[in-house]
Amino acid sequence: MDNVNSLIDGFASALTLSNLGFGLLGTFLGTLVGVLPGIGPALAIALLLPITYTVSPASALIMFAAIYYGAMYGGSTTSILLNTPGESGSVITALEGNKMARNGRAGAALATAAIGSFVAGTIATLILAFTAPTIADMAIKVGAADYVALMLVAFTTVSSLLGASQIRGFISLAVGLVLGLVGADLQSGLSRLTFGNQAAVEGIETVPVIVSIFALGEALYIASRFKELGWNIIPMKGKALMSRDDWKRSWKPWLRGTALGFPLGVIPAGGSEVPTFLSYSVEKKLSKNPEEFGHGAIEGVAGPEAANNANAAGALVPLLALGLPTSATAAVILVAFQTYQIQPGPTLFLTNGALIWTLIASLFIGNTLLLILNLPLVRVWVQLLKVPRPYLFAGIVTFAMLGAYALNTSIFDVQVAIAIGIVGFLFRRFGMPITPLILGLILGPNLELQFRRALQISAGDYGTLWASPLSKVLYAVLIIALFTPIITRFMKRVRKDAHA
Amino acid sequence: MGSLFLLGLIVFWDTARTELPAFNLTVSPKVFPYAIAALLMGLSALLFVQILRGDLAIPEGLEAGDPIKNSDYKTFGIVMASLLSFLLLIERAGFIIAASITFFGITVAFDNKKHVRAAIFGTLFITVIYLSFTHFLHVQLPAGILKGL
Repeated sequence: MDNVNSLIDGFASALTLSNLGFGLLGTFLGTLVGVLPGIGPALAIALLLPITYTVSPASALIMFAAIYYGAMYGGSTTSILLNTPGESGSVITALEGNKMARNGRAGAALATAAIGSFVAGTIATLILAFTAPTIADMAIKVGAADYVALMLVAFTTVSSLLGASQIRGFISLAVGLVLGLVGADLQSGLSRLTFGNQAAVEGIETVPVIVSIFALGEALYIASRFKELGWNIIPMKGKALMSRDDWKRSWKPWLRGTALGFPLGVIPAGGSEVPTFLSYSVEKKLSKNPEEFGHGAIEGVAGPEAANNANAAGALVPLLALGLPTSATAAVILVAFQTYQIQPGPTLFLTNGALIWTLIASLFIGNTLLLILNLPLVRVWVQLLKVPRPYLFAGIVTFAMLGAYALNTSIFDVQVAIAIGIVGFLFRRFGMPITPLILGLILGPNLELQFRRALQISAGDYGTLWASPLSKVLYAVLIIALFTPIITRFMKRVRKDAHA
Repeated sequence: MGSLFLLGLIVFWDTARTELPAFNLTVSPKVFPYAIAALLMGLSALLFVQILRGDLAIPEGLEAGDPIKNSDYKTFGIVMASLLSFLLLIERAGFIIAASITFFGITVAFDNKKHVRAAIFGTLFITVIYLSFTHFLHVQLPAGILKGL
């Protein structure tokens, strides 16, 4: 019952007037930025980081929680009305929801997305509140060598499950690892890859990298393809309401989506792409009218949206309990924590317990505020989609530059930001996924640290890396994750040959 | 063919860069860079083989088989120039001037016809951001040559 008491304390500190204000501001800003086309939750949080540089850690975390959920709500609105998903998790929503909007059912699509996200978010946060501390308790006993194995598994799954090409995923990871190397080595103080640049000794700041790789990379990429792109807003008629029949068809997909999304968020399964696709195909299989799918079936929005939100909350479990981000958004939240010298991980609940419970409580509050705020305000958000494209990009880019500069008031960060923007452009142009790069950049130095720690304990014996039972299991998982895509591709080819 | 050549360049660029960790001298901090360098070189070789076998990169937002059009160098160039102007001006001319120019440059790049309106709106928008950051959020941004106004 300890958790319940802690959670109540969390609510008590999150519900002060000023913190509630920060929560409200966060939901507002998060939705505002998330609605803007092409901006996913990861970028929304990264863009809004500068706002929190000077507020207290508790208020900032409350704001992040609100921004996080707000950006996800905003993103689904854009996906449905504009068919431009800001992240891989909204691809399905865009697919099915946009069809609904074309059929004049935009209101129902938006409502099922919003209510489904609320239901999924609330259930998932509740599970989070009770599992994360338990996992953290167990994780205290996890040794350095096991951490090495755990991080390698996260790298492998994220690199090989995202995007079409496994090799490109790993290349993205490797580029991220190289960026993580830059700067003074933590243990020996040796400068690596700095080329005599004093500012580079401090290492590459993760915030400008994340902002630039998404925002500047996207702006440059859109610019390079400017002639061929257009976009189309579907006008929304009526209110964001669901009929009795819509409710009947939505509630089961919500729950099933939550059940799929949460566990797949907890294990490093490559972000929200897999659970949303799974939820979609499950709903299609279970539906009485599968022929509606692909032409605007409400189940096809309700399920994946719930899965997406539950997945996001699930990803907070390894983040809070192990310090291990498993998606781009979780990685950004980790960076946000680190800005306040808070290191997520097994000891987090001991060292910063009050703060974390406030965060969890504010996840509930943020989720509720959003539902209250967004259903009536959805028309206001829709207006935002009418911001002319030139202004939209100009605003995003200048804000990204501001964020890069304001972090340390350093011109070096701006240089890095522009360089990374070009990398982001090239990645998009050549079909490389971006999440592995971010994970590599953030976890790379951590991996090196744990790796050395393990070898120091064993006095240089490499056998220590796979000595524990846990690490053996993890390496087995790693091998499966590495070879499954190769084998399935091979099987497909064999089958195709057999048909030919 | 254009994209194939460019990808080859990237592979080359990757490989060239991976030789850099060799500058490190102490033993222990070298292990990781070497491992990453080996990983990168191995992967770029694999990617090269894949490309030779006809598996070309698919730009984001396109499906396999969609025609890949030539890039729009003019728009791309103006966006790049706007970014660089921010870099050059932020500490010399201050945030308001640097950011307003970047903002305006990007609206021009994305084919906004009403230049005067964009310039006025951009400057106002940037000024509001500047004031809210420096006054309400207490984040310091360089005032530059407008200092004292």
